[in-house]
Amino acid sequence: MSSVDRSLNLHVQNLYSEHHRWLHRWLDRKLGNTSDAADLAHDTFVRLLTRQSIATGAEPRALLTHIAKGLVIDRWRRQDVERAYLETIAHLPEPQVPSPETRWLILEALYRIDAMLCAMPEKTRQAFLMSQVDGMTYPQIATELNVSLITVKRYMRDAFLACLSVA
Amino acid sequence: MPPSIDPEILGEAADWLVQLQSGGATDEDHRAIQRWRARSAQHAQAWQRAEAIMGDFRAVPGSIASDTIKRIGRNKSIGRRQALNRIGLFLLAGPAIWLAQRELPWQAWMADQHTAIGEQKNLTLADGTRLLINTNSSLSIAFSATSRRIDLFKGEVLITTGHDPSPTYRPFIVQTRHGTARALGTRFSVRVEDESSRLAVVEGSVAMKPAHSSTAVIVNAGEQSAFGLERTAPVAPLDQASMTWENGMMVARNMRLADLLTELGRYRQGVLRCHDAVADLTVSGAFSLRDTDASLRLLQSTLPISVSSLTRYWVAVEPRG
Repeated sequence: MSSVDRSLNLHVQNLYSEHHRWLHRWLDRKLGNTSDAADLAHDTFVRLLTRQSIATGAEPRALLTHIAKGLVIDRWRRQDVERAYLETIAHLPEPQVPSPETRWLILEALYRIDAMLCAMPEKTRQAFLMSQVDGMTYPQIATELNVSLITVKRYMRDAFLACLSVA
Repeated sequence: MPPSIDPEILGEAADWLVQLQSGGATDEDHRAIQRWRARSAQHAQAWQRAEAIMGDFRAVPGSIASDTIKRIGRNKSIGRRQALNRIGLFLLAGPAIWLAQRELPWQAWMADQHTAIGEQKNLTLADGTRLLINTNSSLSIAFSATSRRIDLFKGEVLITTGHDPSPTYRPFIVQTRHGTARALGTRFSVRVEDESSRLAVVEGSVAMKPAHSSTAVIVNAGEQSAFGLERTAPVAPLDQASMTWENGMMVARNMRLADLLTELGRYRQGVLRCHDAVADLTVSGAFSLRDTDASLRLLQSTLPISVSSLTRYWVAVEPRG
């Protein structure tokens, strides 16, 4: 083992022992839920260690809270999507409810779709959903939105570009 | 973090998607897309993203997608904004000091590679593919004119595939005694265990196929699974904690001491024994896999245990006192 490895590992170990408790308390204050805070404090260190390079900056708490905030936002968005999904299937007749095995795959897809839709302006988003979700043709969308076919194509191009940039 | 692709290429991909969906796409258009995506690694990646996007919409039944999306919109406006305000969305920029990974140069097209217990080795192959071989592993690299294959006999390897300079398409395959994992442009790890091989995909996607089965199952970015000789395990969300070995560390949360010691034991020579009386103590913390002696010292300083070693190769973890 090289001395670089040794000092890097020591650095992470120290980071954990010096700041884990603080980070947990910080998250607990923000979230008001100690078990969520414990999950996210753990995930923050995991995220730190799955980066392709580990920072050894002078402001460890700034780095940790930066990562933790990203995880908190991520978690809220997932909870929004999951809640909406559960409400939706609660209204479905039994045979149309997806099996538990496919549930996770559907939720992951919905989560990514939500992120893509968030990146689109309202009109674009509306046209895009008509095409992708409702299965309408471009001429049908043009009629529905009372715009030209060229405009629909422009909406669709903008929408796909937004998806490709988020993905 | 997704690799960056030239915005102009993304724009062209968006044009193709519109063309495909407008209802007027011809066979010639499909052939043109095949040629377009073969132009460079970035073109291929852009098209892979395009296919993933279409796959996401296909994965959700229409009625469910439509209703769920409307409901997300309703919840979002109130709850989420308040929540974001509460946490203060002023994200700070990360520090500027980064440590580069070191790599060994690599020339040969074919060779056997081994790592000792506790050793991790970086290799860059001729096609730009990077391998990080974990502790106590053994593999051979078999590249030919028609395929790029890694035979993984023992242990674990993390692979980041490169863009193949070869003029003909050569699939990238990891072969274990349980079956194969075929990369579709990607970053993933394979770990051989007794009954099965575990697969974890960080970027792109991988098709896994048990040796005695003719059906392949696709595992996408952010997912993990396993394959035995006969069948594959269900696909599950990627456990990020299982990927921290890349940086020589593990993060434990309420882990049984005995399980933690088993994991540390993969990285050190000799016997690491855990007394029954302390096996069920729970541990949280960040532990070095590259310096397991330091990890044992850390355990000793935080738990009511004593770590005694007759030699470096015989270590017993016992109740203190």
